[in-house]
Amino acid sequence: MSDVILTMKNINKQFPGVKALSDVDLEIRAGEVLALMGENGAGKSTLMKILTGIYKRDSGTIIYNGEEIEFSNPKAAQDAGIVIVHQELQMVNHLTVAQNIFVGREFKNGLMIDDQKMNEEAKKLFDLFEIEIDPKENMGNLTVGSQQLCEIAKAISFDAKIIVFDEPTAALTEHEIQHLFNIIRRLRDRGIGMVYISHRMDEIEQITDRVTVLRDGEYVGTIITEESTKDEIINMMVGRTIFEEPKQFSNVPADAETVLEVKNLNQGNRVKDVSFNLKKGEILGFSGLMGAGRTETARVIFGADKKDSGSIILNGKEVEIENPTDAVTLGIGYLSEDRKRFGLMLEKNLYENMSLASLDDFVSNSVINEKLERKIASEHVVSLNIRTPGVSQFVENLSGGNQQKVVVAKWLIANSDILIFDEPTRGIDVGAKQEIYELMNDLVNEGKSIIMISSELTEILRMSDRIVVMCEGRKTGELSIEEATQEKIMHLATKRD
Amino acid sequence: MKNKLKQKSVVDFNKFGLLIVLVVIYLLFGILTPIFKPGSNFFQFSRILSALNYAYFIGFLALGVTFVISTGGIDFSIGPVMFASALIAGQCLVYYKLPLWLCLIIACVVGLLFGILNGYMVAYRFLPSFVTSMASMQIAKGLGSVFTRTQSVTWPPRGEPNSWFRNLIKFGSVPTGLILLMVTALICGFFLFRTKPGRYILCLGSNKEAVRLSGVSTKKWEMLAFVICGLLAGVASIFYVGAYATVQPGLGDAFNNEAIAACVMGGTSMAGGKASIFGTFIGALIIALLQEGILALGFSISYQYVLTGLIVLIAVIIDSKKNIKSV
Repeated sequence: MSDVILTMKNINKQFPGVKALSDVDLEIRAGEVLALMGENGAGKSTLMKILTGIYKRDSGTIIYNGEEIEFSNPKAAQDAGIVIVHQELQMVNHLTVAQNIFVGREFKNGLMIDDQKMNEEAKKLFDLFEIEIDPKENMGNLTVGSQQLCEIAKAISFDAKIIVFDEPTAALTEHEIQHLFNIIRRLRDRGIGMVYISHRMDEIEQITDRVTVLRDGEYVGTIITEESTKDEIINMMVGRTIFEEPKQFSNVPADAETVLEVKNLNQGNRVKDVSFNLKKGEILGFSGLMGAGRTETARVIFGADKKDSGSIILNGKEVEIENPTDAVTLGIGYLSEDRKRFGLMLEKNLYENMSLASLDDFVSNSVINEKLERKIASEHVVSLNIRTPGVSQFVENLSGGNQQKVVVAKWLIANSDILIFDEPTRGIDVGAKQEIYELMNDLVNEGKSIIMISSELTEILRMSDRIVVMCEGRKTGELSIEEATQEKIMHLATKRD
Repeated sequence: MKNKLKQKSVVDFNKFGLLIVLVVIYLLFGILTPIFKPGSNFFQFSRILSALNYAYFIGFLALGVTFVISTGGIDFSIGPVMFASALIAGQCLVYYKLPLWLCLIIACVVGLLFGILNGYMVAYRFLPSFVTSMASMQIAKGLGSVFTRTQSVTWPPRGEPNSWFRNLIKFGSVPTGLILLMVTALICGFFLFRTKPGRYILCLGSNKEAVRLSGVSTKKWEMLAFVICGLLAGVASIFYVGAYATVQPGLGDAFNNEAIAACVMGGTSMAGGKASIFGTFIGALIIALLQEGILALGFSISYQYVLTGLIVLIAVIIDSKKNIKSV
């Protein structure tokens, strides 16, 4: 048995309205890969952010190399040899690969930055792991996969003792994943302790030694990967088996009318020749890896970004959508993947947020009827089961799930018939997630139609009636729910030209 | 729930507290004046009237800029725009002999045009309001000078023909200016908090992109805030010349800071989204009282600049603390 290098014990962390972690334990050993698993919102990222000094813990202890530690910032953690490879890449596109790797600790030649030395050092680093990337290349010219490898090389270059990988394969092709695994195995041989966060079961089986599972911010348990089955791990994660059951067949009748048809949509190099249609009462799932162009497609349809070409046909009539105002008038609502930035006014109250898309309906003689606003908002608080002390509450004080419901209420009040849900359950805890799913099902039963963009395959398979898969801006396939499997979707999602 | 109660009490304290600050400053100057200048008395009606003269134009400027700050923007051109309005309209009256009513309209229109310029550049050309208003500040200063050939303009004093505009400030011994300022403040408050455009302006300051993605034509409403601000700067010029008569070209920037100070002191957040018209009104009175008091104590007006600078800093620190707490 290898040595324990780091122990986290009884870690607690509270966010406004949400208990993110309660009494969580974690043990990292030298020369092993520990999988950290759990549903979205289980607390994995929070725990890792506490480990790497991004967040402060409320209570609990961290013992590293026999000493109790507390990192006040990520730099302190880095200096101690604990680094994280983030899910979202943190690279500067206009700098070279080498400049990115050594950003903030450049080699200097007097006052000048010694680019040559940096290139040499980066090359050495790459050679060690058989990474074939030119250190002099601009970061922006690399594929997402190569950028990911650079991020990892950067982490290693800190003389890391512990490396945390936060969903490193989310944007990688099968080939790139195997390359990454080779690198991880080498790091393991060198005695480095790693934490590997991923949702993909087959990866967990391939590369990890032990699995620690969190659920709803609580520690569930740790098991040896070799001695456990997929089902056991899933059971630990969800606590009940029925939860992730995929949809068996489409609920949409074959003769349902087409409400939205998109033809040959183009926008820059993010959206390339995308065509699809949406039927009344349908949940159309959009699957794909990060950067596949799904959000961009949605934004163009909604008028948030201008399209280069293509046509949008709504209820049989071709329409011009120049801006979000047009889209809202035509009955389209968009629920962004980033609610806080694009969906909500956090320091405004519930009813001000809910009436925003349809304020005209609350105005008589150019004066806002606040009484009516409160009444309609209260009705939606009840019907959507939003947990809040009242409609005058600031939205920032609500939990993620309830915030999402406020956005849903906004579009229901605006009478939207087509709702685009972009990552509807991101950052929402398990219970609330279930509620959002039920809500979406209710909406389509009432005759509304939904486009659902999701990076979670389980979510796609559970909710969709039909699935569109995209890769690098193109639609690479369409699957009925009856024929769809995780494998088929992943195959299409990585189908590059 | 707890959180909400706390937030509410902060707001209420601000309103109440600001009134207390006003009274305390008044009493303080009253006590200090005889000490610094033996024999003189601050507690005179004439002192109040003199302070009010200052409060009127600062008040109109501050009410206007409250709209811009509510959207999360800033306008550094209001002082010079007010002076440009006063110079151009005054020149029309004194030199070109245009009728007074027309000159007063011209004063408002000059302000309005600057508001349109600022608003268009910020909302439709996506320029930062900081830069835009700095530029239009220069334009306003220059334009006023060019129009009057770098001469100062003196509006007719009380008693002479074409001086009825002075009754807007004071009619007999009634401070009509205060009534007009209060009425304007009430209208501004109603507009900002009860009407659709006002709601949109406040929402823009909270999260502009979320407002746009809710189908609101954000550009229109953002521009409107600057237009209102410009118009009120034009109106302010009437109250400036009503009180002080002579306007010199190339000045006016000091009033930017005082108007913004009044606004921020009153509880309007520099980050946008939160505003208080009542606060702005009391803030303008405080600024005017400080100016009057510092002169009464026998200090140079330069001390007032130091003081307003410090007030802005303190108000912004309090405001940003509130914001940090809520993150």
